[in-house]
Amino acid sequence: MTPRQSRLLAALAATSLLLAACSRGPEEGEEVDTTDGGTATTSADAGAAPTTTAETETTEASEDTAVETTTADTEGGETTEGGGGGGAEWTVSTDDCIDPDLANSPIEGTVSIGSSMPLSGGVAATAFGPVAEGFRAYIEYANEQGLLPEHEVSLNIGDDQYDAAQTPNVVNGLLDSGVNLFSGIIGTPNNDAVRAVLNEECVPQILALTGSPAWGEVADYPWTTGGLIPYNIEAEAYAQHIAEQFPDGATAALFTVANEFGEVYRTAFEAAAEEAGIEIVDAQTIEAADSAPPSAQLNSIAGNQPDVIMAVPLGAQCPTFMSELANAKAVQSGWDPQVYITNTCASPLILAVAGEAANGLITSASAGLQDVTNPEVAAADPDVQAYIDYMTNRGNADILSTATAGWNIGEVTVEILRQAAESPDGLTQASIINASRNFDYHPLLTREGVDYKMAGEEDAFYAEDIQIVQYDAATGFFTDIGDLITSFRSS
Amino acid sequence: MLKLNEGSPGHWVIRIIWVAAVVAALVYIPTKTNTSTIGDIATATQLAIAAMSLNLLLGYSGVISIGHSAFFGIGGYTTAILVSEYGWTQGWTIYVAAALAFVVGCIVSLPALRLKGVYLALVTLALAVLFPTLVRWGKLAWLTNGAQGISGIGYEQTPTWYNDHFARWQFINESISLPELRGREGRAIFLYWVGILILAVCYLVCRGIVKSRVGRSLIAIRDNETAAAVMGISRAKTKALVFGTSAAMCAVGGCLYAIQSTLAEPNLRFFTLLGSITFLLIMVLGGAATLWGPIVGAFAYVILDTRTRQAGESGEGVIGWLFGWMTGSPATLVLAIVLLIIVFVAPFGIVGLLKRIAAKFIVIIPRPAGTAPLPVSALEEPAVAGSPI
Amino acid sequence: MDRFLDAVFLGLSSGAIYALVALSLVVVFRASGHLNFAAGEMGTLSAFIAWAFYDAGVPLVIAALLGMAFGALLGGATEVAIVRPLEKKSPLAVFVALIALFLGINALTTGIWGAPPAEEIGNLFPNDPEDFWRIGGGVWRDRDIGALVVTLVITGLLFFLFQRTRFGLAMRGVASNAESARLVGVPTSRVLIGSWAIAGAIGAIAAILVAGNQGQVTPIIMVTIFVYGSAAATLGGLDSPGGAVIGGLLIGIIENLAAEFSKDWVGQEMKLGVALLVIFVVLLVKPSGLFGTAKVERV
Repeated sequence: MTPRQSRLLAALAATSLLLAACSRGPEEGEEVDTTDGGTATTSADAGAAPTTTAETETTEASEDTAVETTTADTEGGETTEGGGGGGAEWTVSTDDCIDPDLANSPIEGTVSIGSSMPLSGGVAATAFGPVAEGFRAYIEYANEQGLLPEHEVSLNIGDDQYDAAQTPNVVNGLLDSGVNLFSGIIGTPNNDAVRAVLNEECVPQILALTGSPAWGEVADYPWTTGGLIPYNIEAEAYAQHIAEQFPDGATAALFTVANEFGEVYRTAFEAAAEEAGIEIVDAQTIEAADSAPPSAQLNSIAGNQPDVIMAVPLGAQCPTFMSELANAKAVQSGWDPQVYITNTCASPLILAVAGEAANGLITSASAGLQDVTNPEVAAADPDVQAYIDYMTNRGNADILSTATAGWNIGEVTVEILRQAAESPDGLTQASIINASRNFDYHPLLTREGVDYKMAGEEDAFYAEDIQIVQYDAATGFFTDIGDLITSFRSS
Repeated sequence: MLKLNEGSPGHWVIRIIWVAAVVAALVYIPTKTNTSTIGDIATATQLAIAAMSLNLLLGYSGVISIGHSAFFGIGGYTTAILVSEYGWTQGWTIYVAAALAFVVGCIVSLPALRLKGVYLALVTLALAVLFPTLVRWGKLAWLTNGAQGISGIGYEQTPTWYNDHFARWQFINESISLPELRGREGRAIFLYWVGILILAVCYLVCRGIVKSRVGRSLIAIRDNETAAAVMGISRAKTKALVFGTSAAMCAVGGCLYAIQSTLAEPNLRFFTLLGSITFLLIMVLGGAATLWGPIVGAFAYVILDTRTRQAGESGEGVIGWLFGWMTGSPATLVLAIVLLIIVFVAPFGIVGLLKRIAAKFIVIIPRPAGTAPLPVSALEEPAVAGSPI
Repeated sequence: MDRFLDAVFLGLSSGAIYALVALSLVVVFRASGHLNFAAGEMGTLSAFIAWAFYDAGVPLVIAALLGMAFGALLGGATEVAIVRPLEKKSPLAVFVALIALFLGINALTTGIWGAPPAEEIGNLFPNDPEDFWRIGGGVWRDRDIGALVVTLVITGLLFFLFQRTRFGLAMRGVASNAESARLVGVPTSRVLIGSWAIAGAIGAIAAILVAGNQGQVTPIIMVTIFVYGSAAATLGGLDSPGGAVIGGLLIGIIENLAAEFSKDWVGQEMKLGVALLVIFVVLLVKPSGLFGTAKVERV
């Protein structure tokens, strides 16, 4: 082929590409090189109802970035009356599903749960690996105990390496292999990337392991729910606590990691601080991949001498921050700020490296979970002891504290499945999401009084109860401060 | 040993067999495999486009670049911004992204004029590291949404014009017809075909450049820059053109990648230095300085990646036995080991290896005059004594 | 004034680490003419080995020395097993192999030591909160002064090696013209191995210092620092050890001053951007760096 012919062909292909690339509106076609030769129809649509698919899914919401504050109110003030007791239960509409029959057909035999977690690819994996283990452990436990009658539960966790671009591929693979629901996907952008697809396919995406407020969009994404305490609730709880400790007004500094998680948190805290009358005197950031001690940031913060620091570091940055803060305090004698730190750092495994420097920091119990490494807690609660025994038998004694998150998710998932199976519709994809949104359950590893509740459109978040705790470096335990705060409940 | 003259019927038979095989493979994938495989192959086409752009630069100009993740990212972010902020249709953003990347590529080629080897690699290294940092910069957050990234930019549905006018066309009889493209399967198939199409266009562009005057200028510059300058080849223009084209091509791959992932974020692996390195490795795996190398390399990479990840999780097979005790998946480690082996054993990559094997069986005797020079594998070039790379 | 001094002191200490990495890169470049892409990761692996000894009860200083020994071994092995055989094929092959090494070692350290609990390691210098000096209104921590001292000591040792020993003379010979050196009878092979070994040891101590500052060894400690080190080597001149040190310190100081006094435009988040800008500017204006030798091409 001569260069001229090549160029001509390239130009032709490029022109046809121009049209192939458009995705909206009916344009009268010109020549297009699509499929070559005749082939059999794809397997995708056997039996699908001929309704046009995603058109009715409202699409404006999908253009938004994840930081849309939700319909469900988190101030605890405006829950609509009528949430308790009477009135129709919320049910999901399967009319717009690609395959409504599949969404409503009973699941027989093995219920297959899918998930996507960072199992490799650097620091994230090591932080979240125990969560995956805990999840797997619970599912094994549930099968052994026969917690879901007439069904086996299988769990398939795919590895997306904390890269949100890989999560759709992982989820696609799992959907192809026939999972019935997704639970516990880690990462805000990761969940965001697959939210549209899973809602379109009417596959439940429950217990997203992030605290982004975006999972409360019940009307637009009914099949997606969150699993952790929303970051804005957490930030507000801290702000309220600060206001209580400093009734004459306090000054605060922010230290956040420069990624989605940190940004959302910072916005939430800034809003909450303004409401609570806290003056923010400094806001420093740290890059997600930066593991060096944040000396410069702390020098700056120390210069402003705030009463309080709200810290949102990532993983290994947690203890480094605390150590560096101790250094800064030594230099700036007389300054001893109270540190509030995100509950993703609230693990003795992570904080141990900081030693004494981490003493006295205030955080909250992640997802309302108890401090399982504290022998007093284990002694007082047989469920905690049972968890410890099971995990130790399994060889996971070294990750007890971090694995509780995974175990907890497993427990809540299986409970939802159980309730769905007992519902009049039996165990179907639709009934799973219905059960999850009409839910009131106390997970066994959580603190007394913590309830995971959801009620249709009014209450779109499970974990809204916060227990403020304080870390004791000498023992490595977290002691409760004050009572469980339930004022953030939406229902 | 079969000897065939170029242009003879025997040669044509071989060409036809090749084309038929390729077409069969192309058609097999979207129709017989499941959606995630189609999605993976679509990703492979995007990586192949990026590797091909790198190949253009490296294989034929001797320019080492580990900065192409920046162009990939420019493509992805252009699409993301135009779609989410200004409501553009995804397809049109590809053109804008290519143009923008072309300009940036030309600008970056300015230092490339004077630098060689290590120094050039350093500039591209800086570029690759700079891109995510710049995206996260507070001053640019109005554009890029900072560390949070931009989401929701995927296709919501496949083109209605296709479903309305072309789907359900029948060939011969009812059982053979063009399928409707719906839902996630439809999107996957659509992105697959778009990827294949663009890959074909890029292939033709590369081929066109190589066999044209620009290509010969490139080879002249690579072989002896001073002599080329003396002969009247404008190094500045040629290098700028090639760098720009390479950048534009890479950006197009990035656009498709962002559309398939439905988001653009500064922490995405392929927008960081790690991504640049992966493109380089894909190119080497497939065969640097061959036209098919990047394509084969990308497919091999995707297959390797998914298989080792699965094997690492389940602990089965050789991979599981060798690496199962490690934390997390051994995919990267396996890739690194494979690369090291390839560099020692088969520096001309998979395609080079296959060509050499094929050369033992079939030899095509080229036409006597006026043929373009065969591309030499850059990895086999003897080092010039005394100067760094 | 104290903020200025604080920034300068911080700059000197982070710059010291960059200088060490840059030194490692320069020593290799002078000998083999290649950029050791895996320099940072080799250091990380050596730091983990040092940790392994420390965890087993060996005193930290001895563990650090053992780590450096491992680094030297690793460097020498890389030269013999990877660089030398591939050099005959093509320079690109070496580059690709070093990149593959970078990826591979990173994956290896993550796989072996990635899981919690963390690999805690102490600091070679006093690192309690009270261990600092007040100098002219600014604050300088013991560990930071220590890092700078280590860098200067190693620079001094290298200087002594290059200028006053036969081996150093051989290294300079090979760096200047490898072919002629071989013809004259310089044991080029040993020089190359030695250079890479020295570079490996320097990288190891850099990583150990970094790990000590953080309190733990993690697989990613040297990834960004490698980029800074490259910037420093570029600024100073890829074949100038003195330039590497000065380049490192300069970059450390510049980035910290920029972050401190231009909070709006630079701030902490764009510190890396400053280093990258330095690379661009240097390569645009004077590719051989401040102290490197410019290459003259003869037609």
